[in-house]
Amino acid sequence: MNDRRRSTILRYARQGVAMLRGLGVTFRYLFKRPITIRYPEEKRTAVQPRFKGRHWLTLYGDGMERCVGCELCVIVCPSQAIYVKAAENTPEHQVSKGERYAAEFQINELRCIFCGFCEEACPTGAIVLGREYELAGYTRESMIYTKPMLTEPYPGSSGRDPQREV
Amino acid sequence: MSDQVPIVTLSIDGRPVTVPKGTTIWTAARGAGIDVPIFCYHDRMPPLGACRMCLVNVEKTPKLVTSCTQEAAEGMVVSTTTPDVKAGQEAILEFLLINHPLDCPICDKGGECPLQDQTFRYGPGRSRYVEVKRDFAKPVSLGPALVLDRERCILCWRCVRFGEIIAGDDALKGFERGFTSEINTPFTLPAASKFIGNTIAICPVGALTSRTYRFVSRPWDNQRVPSVCTFCGVGCAVFFDVRGNTIMRTQAREAPDLNDIWLCDLGFFGHGYVQHAERLQQPLIRKDGDLQPASWDEALDLVARKIRATAPGRVALLAGARLTNEDAYVAARVFRTVVGTPHLDHRLDTRADGPSLGVSWGMTSPIGEIPTRDLFLLVGCDLTEEYPVLWLRMKQAVDRGAAIIAITPKALEIDRFVAHHLVHDYHEGSAVLAALAQAAGGDSPKTGEVGGVDLGRIALAGEALRGAKRPMVMIGKTALEAADGETMYAEVEDLCGKFGIKPSIMRGRGNAFGAALAGLLPNTSPGGRPLAQVRGDLETVWGAPVAVEPGLSGPHIIEAAGRGELDVLYIAGADPSSDVLDRSRWAAARSRLPFLVVVDAFLTETAQAADVVLPALVIPEKNGTVSNIEGRVQRVHAAVSGPGEARGDWQILSGLAVRLGRTIAYSGWEEIFNEMKTLIPGLEVDAIVPLAAPARAVSAPGAQKSDGRETAADGEYPLALIVGDVLFDRGSMSGRSPAIADLAREPWAMLHPDDAARATVADGDPIVLTARRGSIAVMARVSKAVLPGHVYVPRGYDAAPVNAIVGAGEAVTRVRVRALVTVAGGQGNG
Ligand code: SF4
Ligand code: SF4
Ligand code: SF4
Ligand code: SF4
Ligand code: FES
Repeated sequence: MNDRRRSTILRYARQGVAMLRGLGVTFRYLFKRPITIRYPEEKRTAVQPRFKGRHWLTLYGDGMERCVGCELCVIVCPSQAIYVKAAENTPEHQVSKGERYAAEFQINELRCIFCGFCEEACPTGAIVLGREYELAGYTRESMIYTKPMLTEPYPGSSGRDPQREV
Repeated sequence: MSDQVPIVTLSIDGRPVTVPKGTTIWTAARGAGIDVPIFCYHDRMPPLGACRMCLVNVEKTPKLVTSCTQEAAEGMVVSTTTPDVKAGQEAILEFLLINHPLDCPICDKGGECPLQDQTFRYGPGRSRYVEVKRDFAKPVSLGPALVLDRERCILCWRCVRFGEIIAGDDALKGFERGFTSEINTPFTLPAASKFIGNTIAICPVGALTSRTYRFVSRPWDNQRVPSVCTFCGVGCAVFFDVRGNTIMRTQAREAPDLNDIWLCDLGFFGHGYVQHAERLQQPLIRKDGDLQPASWDEALDLVARKIRATAPGRVALLAGARLTNEDAYVAARVFRTVVGTPHLDHRLDTRADGPSLGVSWGMTSPIGEIPTRDLFLLVGCDLTEEYPVLWLRMKQAVDRGAAIIAITPKALEIDRFVAHHLVHDYHEGSAVLAALAQAAGGDSPKTGEVGGVDLGRIALAGEALRGAKRPMVMIGKTALEAADGETMYAEVEDLCGKFGIKPSIMRGRGNAFGAALAGLLPNTSPGGRPLAQVRGDLETVWGAPVAVEPGLSGPHIIEAAGRGELDVLYIAGADPSSDVLDRSRWAAARSRLPFLVVVDAFLTETAQAADVVLPALVIPEKNGTVSNIEGRVQRVHAAVSGPGEARGDWQILSGLAVRLGRTIAYSGWEEIFNEMKTLIPGLEVDAIVPLAAPARAVSAPGAQKSDGRETAADGEYPLALIVGDVLFDRGSMSGRSPAIADLAREPWAMLHPDDAARATVADGDPIVLTARRGSIAVMARVSKAVLPGHVYVPRGYDAAPVNAIVGAGEAVTRVRVRALVTVAGGQGNG
């Protein structure tokens, strides 16, 4: 009987100490500079070097599209987020190097899990995952990025060296 | 039996394998489930030994041997995995890849490429070759359907040998030597073949690719839907590769007793019409002289009202080859019971007085038996144009020594494989046949000539015929629709009687055989038995009285309409304006017909003149079954959904039946098929179900009537007109499949060089053919395939309808040819 009471008291004491210790940490940090930032009012200057954000379809220095519409990214994508429909280049309408280009290119950014497999599979280094992580929209449709949205505005703007061969 | 075939036992990778003597090591290994990579070998052709990919180690031989050429021998010890084999495979692959561009990301073969797969599985993984690769301009177009990339070619010779061995058309050849070797067509003309799509299928790399499939899809995008090609009557088994809701390509589906692994180019490249922008999307009703969009309810109500207001005997149905068996069956049921008319038929392109209407169409023996026959008699049957894949099967028999006797007014494309080619004057076919029958009997003069054919050659053909053990006789449209068709048919039947066989009636395109089987004939029930015989069964299943008097057949329906004897004509999937032999008959019919309903996929000429047009689905959009020329019933699966509000034919008909006061509703094609089974004995999917008994009617007495008239040449119209069917034409469907329209080229006519010279016309010149009734403008093809005094014009070109200048009453239509002089800036006008 006595033993039982003693152990109960002991347990409460231990818990009290643990709580105080925890609060100690809280108090210690209460007077330090915060690690978190007030997103979205404040933003980090840079993400980690290997961070994977939204996709870009990159261009060569001469403005030619790197993508040849091979659909390797389509087949490797584990979440089936990519749709590509290729077409044939003509001398009057030369879009990429080689005979083939992607006439349609869509990525469903809602489905994408940012694994980066597409970038890895791409034989021409066309598709890259950029740094932008602010991927939100009011409709699902707006999150299906189409080719004009995906294509980098000017060669190199996504960060990929336009002179690089692959 | 089995101990008569010598057997050898060898060991492959330590496993004992027993095979008949003469089997190659590769075949033995495959039988044992051991994979040996190959490129040049193809099991439908003899081994060649060009690529060295199939190297194996055979004990006690100093070097690796090519397993595709080496026969297995008793006690051989073969190994496919030893280090030396591995090294050999790696070396060969490294060597093949030296000049290979490795542009897999662009190449259409990527993802289904044996070179890719085998490099992955057996290759060295890296190349030591750093020098500059062979560089060819690419791509090269080898015709409307074929694209060649010479850099990717590994010179396995499969495509060349396909043309030499399988098709016999020598469409592709190898040129140059060594490093600069390349595949091309003779004289770099567009590939002259009806089977070029097969070379794309068997090319083990992406050197030969299809223009219609160029870059549109990847194998992993495609859903493969098993179906049947229903262009001609062969009914080849196909896959439709579908991406989204679009058919991307057609591929052969292996069917050993039918098309084996081949298709013709119409099958390969002809699916473009399905997705054509001009497909009808909603019903149209003629209001104030114009066809205007309407709702289904409006349209069907109108049709029902017109039918109700008409005496049953003044309504007729023409239903064509676009229908599935189930559609055709429901059509027969609705028209026979609910509408109550016996006037229904699927046959249109026949003479009203010819033999075609009296015989049941189709082959009398299975296609699978063709390769085992020893003699073929083709009477007025242009096999490669009308039933192309049957030629590939016949070629197998020819390779085994079978002889072909052909009696045609135009030399066949397969001329060099025809042992006895009797090209005759158009109107003399029956005389030539009679001479042949006489020669087969053993007594015939060896000199002189009949119908433009030397009697000596007929005598030789007769001898061949006499010696035949397993002959096969085919009579085709050109003979049956000739003025002396009745006589020719009778002679062919007699000749067959001597061998105890029946001639195959090579008539009908698409699902004509299903239509006949399902009962779209004026005088027979589903299954082909006479109506009187099965009336009881029919009435039990259909729950309504059925009249047994024979109705009018297709051509007679049109004639009756022209005499004002019909009030409503319902046409489903037929285009009489271009199908009937004599267009003026249809024009007369249309002008006297108070109400015309056309159910079709496109606004055909006929539909343009209709009062109500209903948009229909086409076969790749339907579920159900179709029958082919040998009677084989095959399943078709809907590959894509149809455009707009288009509906299937049986659904349309059942909607019509409801409005006529009878509920004929089915839950799906299976229910219809099961109902058909109760009326058609032996009906099963994949079974061969011939018509019960040939619906041989008493032939119309008019057959002789036209004989002899207008056969003599006169100065004004010196040439006899031969009309024939060709594989590639520009009709409502083919003209809307871009590759087929390209293959068909401009409407054309074939003249003998002498006649061409007389008219100062050269090959490729625009000409005008003028007959008494009118004229058409076509392109001249000058060839000795026709005899002097003849001109051959193909049907099926909407821009130059030959049926506009043919008169059904004429035994032979006579024409003259003039060069078309185009005035600068103006249009030549016939
Ligand atoms: S990052 Fe991964 S999930 Fe996203 S599109 Fe690329 S492959 Fe697909
Ligand atoms: S992004 Fe790269 S992998 Fe994807 S289709 Fe284009 S070239 Fe191919
Ligand atoms: S084109 Fe293809 S099939 Fe023909 S030889 Fe070259 S690799 Fe072989
Ligand atoms: S032979 Fe006839 S059924 Fe076969 S693919 Fe050609 S058109 Fe189609
Ligand atoms: S497959 Fe045997 S040598 Fe080509």
